[in-house]
Amino acid sequence: MTPIWSGLSIGAVYALIALGYNVVFIAYTTFNFAHAQLTMFAIFVTYWGLVVAELPVALIFVVAAVGVGLIALVEEFVAIRPVRGAHAHLVTTLGMATLLDGTTRLIWGDQALKVPAVGSGATFTLLGGRISVPEVVLILSVVGITVAMTVYSRRSLTGLALLAMAEDREAALLRGINVRRLALGAFVFTGVLAGLTGPLVGPKTFAVSTLAAALALKGFVALAIGGFGSLPGALLGGFVVGLVESLTGRWLGSQLPTVMVFVVLLLILMLKPTGLFGTTRERMV
Amino acid sequence: MTLARQLRVLPSWVLPLTLGVLLVGAPWLGVSSDTRRLLLLTCILALLASGLNLSFGYAGELALGQVAMYATGAYLAGYLAMHWVNDLVLLVLVAAAAALAVGLVSGIPGLRLGGWSLAMTSFFLVLLVPQLLDLLEHYTGGAVGMVGIPRARLLGAELSSLDMYVVVTVVTVGWFAVMRNLITSRHGVAFQVLRESPILASSLGISVYRMKLTAYAISAIPAGIAGALFAFVDKYLAPHSFGFTLAVTVLAASILGGARSVYGPLVGAAVMQYGPLRSTEFEQYAQVVYGAFLILAGTLVANGLAGLANRAVARLSARWRPAPDAAAPAEATPVGPEPGRPALPTLSGARLAVTDVRKRFGGLQALRGVTLTAEPGQITALIGPNGSGKTTLLNVICGYYRIDSGTIHLGDTDITGRGTHDVARAGIARTFQTPLFPEHVTVREAVAAGAYASRYVGMPAAILRLPRYRRAAAADRAEVDNVLRLVGAADLADATAASLPLGTRRLLEVARALVARPRVLLLDEVASGLDEDEIERLADLIRAIRAAGTTVILVEHNFRLVLDLADVIHVLAQGELIASGTASEIENHPRVLSEYLGVRQEVRP
Repeated sequence: MTPIWSGLSIGAVYALIALGYNVVFIAYTTFNFAHAQLTMFAIFVTYWGLVVAELPVALIFVVAAVGVGLIALVEEFVAIRPVRGAHAHLVTTLGMATLLDGTTRLIWGDQALKVPAVGSGATFTLLGGRISVPEVVLILSVVGITVAMTVYSRRSLTGLALLAMAEDREAALLRGINVRRLALGAFVFTGVLAGLTGPLVGPKTFAVSTLAAALALKGFVALAIGGFGSLPGALLGGFVVGLVESLTGRWLGSQLPTVMVFVVLLLILMLKPTGLFGTTRERMV
Repeated sequence: MTLARQLRVLPSWVLPLTLGVLLVGAPWLGVSSDTRRLLLLTCILALLASGLNLSFGYAGELALGQVAMYATGAYLAGYLAMHWVNDLVLLVLVAAAAALAVGLVSGIPGLRLGGWSLAMTSFFLVLLVPQLLDLLEHYTGGAVGMVGIPRARLLGAELSSLDMYVVVTVVTVGWFAVMRNLITSRHGVAFQVLRESPILASSLGISVYRMKLTAYAISAIPAGIAGALFAFVDKYLAPHSFGFTLAVTVLAASILGGARSVYGPLVGAAVMQYGPLRSTEFEQYAQVVYGAFLILAGTLVANGLAGLANRAVARLSARWRPAPDAAAPAEATPVGPEPGRPALPTLSGARLAVTDVRKRFGGLQALRGVTLTAEPGQITALIGPNGSGKTTLLNVICGYYRIDSGTIHLGDTDITGRGTHDVARAGIARTFQTPLFPEHVTVREAVAAGAYASRYVGMPAAILRLPRYRRAAAADRAEVDNVLRLVGAADLADATAASLPLGTRRLLEVARALVARPRVLLLDEVASGLDEDEIERLADLIRAIRAAGTTVILVEHNFRLVLDLADVIHVLAQGELIASGTASEIENHPRVLSEYLGVRQEVRP
């Protein structure tokens, strides 16, 4: 049971990344390569807040949310807004990702830093497996965030406007939706979300400058499994990736998990390229 | 000025070849051994970047997998040289084949979803390289690296480091010749069509998926070769040489030199090797610098240094061009068929039969059981109010939409449910409501693209410039000239197609469709936005096409033009055929008058 708990909790992290990709996908029909870097940055901010500056916990959440939200804002202005087309965005957001990776290395170095839990770090036995309090909090928060975002996107006017925009940008514009501001808001939201969840993720992943690359890929696999644009799909995909990874590590050896996740990605793309919850839209001429 | 003009007359391969010979001969021109090493590393990086150019710059898929293929080639060559056989020719071939296999295995799933999938799968592949090397520690030496690679042998003779330099530069020059021949052939234009408009590509009979896969797979070959050569440069391989940083370096070299260029990677790689990569302090700041560079290059720089050079050459040659030449086209020769224009070749039309076709989009029933036929040597017009399903029907025929029920036959062949490129290859050509032309492509190239699939010449023939390729190229040229004269755009052959006015572009779309020698030609609102003179010329052209024997289907809002041209008219309303008949029958049909023309029937006597 322990590998299952640990798989679910790391899976929750991947789901978070996939949720971030999804929001940007819904708002811009594009892919933000640098989203995992935003989460990584939040984790480093948490480390700095807890270990170096010894700030109160509430303040750490605020600092991480505002700081990473600002980075997202800057990214939107320099890497998303000036260029058009998903392929151009791949280059610019990859640039942003590399830039953030490099900056993190310059500031905090190459070593993996242990991030303490914001609350209790105790472990206990649940259904025959060991799990820690931060892990439980992480899993429950991510499930909660997914549910809240799904409900929000279906019920609130802003959420509906976002979906309308994803469907047809011009039609949304004609309906009086301020497409640019709404999209910018969604983008900054992904940054704020990354900031707020950083302190929850940190104890699970450690703070290390190579973290983002790994998270980006696993998050992408989660997205591919769940289907582009589907929020519940991202959650499920994240859990699947986490479980594949931790069960492979448990039964087949410690060198194989990433390879196995890659195999899962190839299988999904070959068998069901739209993912479990994704839909294909017919092309228009 | 005369010298400059003479220079422009030289074949375009003379200058690169001269520089290539100088590169190979550099050690005898007094270049130091340090510089020699830099040149050698430049060649290897340029091979990698050149592969990326093919898949990213030309085919439009950002794929970072070159590093994985490079590592495959390097480790395989190193291992084989140590334990099995040490012959550079063989090793290079094996490495290229292995890299090609890696390209295919990662490209097939990666391209299924299009867009970011390939970028991510290839990125994933690169991050797996160190882990896979670790997993295969027994063969690769794991984190310690592969030590004890012998000097390479070529046909039995051991190669000194000077010999190795010559081999690497000769191979590099050879690869760039291959790349140049591929890009300047029809395949180069096909890649650009693919990158800018997959819709257009498939309507020209190009399978988007296969073509992208081909580009990605071919791009693996230089990477594999570069790997095999690199194994013998230091005779030592370590996992950290094949990391993500290298992937970004390759991308930076490609973008800096110009992603959509043949020789750009050499320049980009040279700048990278002479500049940042030489300083050891750079490594610390590498990611920050690369990151900033990618953002800047992605937003500001159009096609890197090659783009700048091309624009400069274009500006200079415009200045050098003799004055009379420049003045002549300014005389505003009207676009349109000239008197005594060339005849169309005989085209074999085919009967197109659409039977009970239904198509539903969500809650909208766009086509509710439409049945019609179009005969060869006739113009069949399709009219109806906006939203009546005319364009949907065209898209259904072309295979853009999958129909819910019904059948579509071309002659005796059932083409129901076939992919767009398949339908195009069966002989259906079309024009678009908004003319589609890739940027940076001349009229001649754009129109010749119509023949890409219908008279296909393989890539090997194009690369080696076999007689088959030369014959096809000459035939293309003659046919394009002929068709351009037919639409009256002969003097525009070297202009950039996308920059021409709408009316001209519409005529060029017809020309492109004609080059494919279609059995059925679909014209989608081809007259909209044209002035009266242009419409007159267009009508003549369409009549000529009918006379040549093709089946013409005309979707059009200009009622007068339709009455004037069409042999048979079908009227659609709300996804149903409400009337069919000759021009005079339709003109007086009561439902057509009320539903399409909006004439109230009481008014009629």
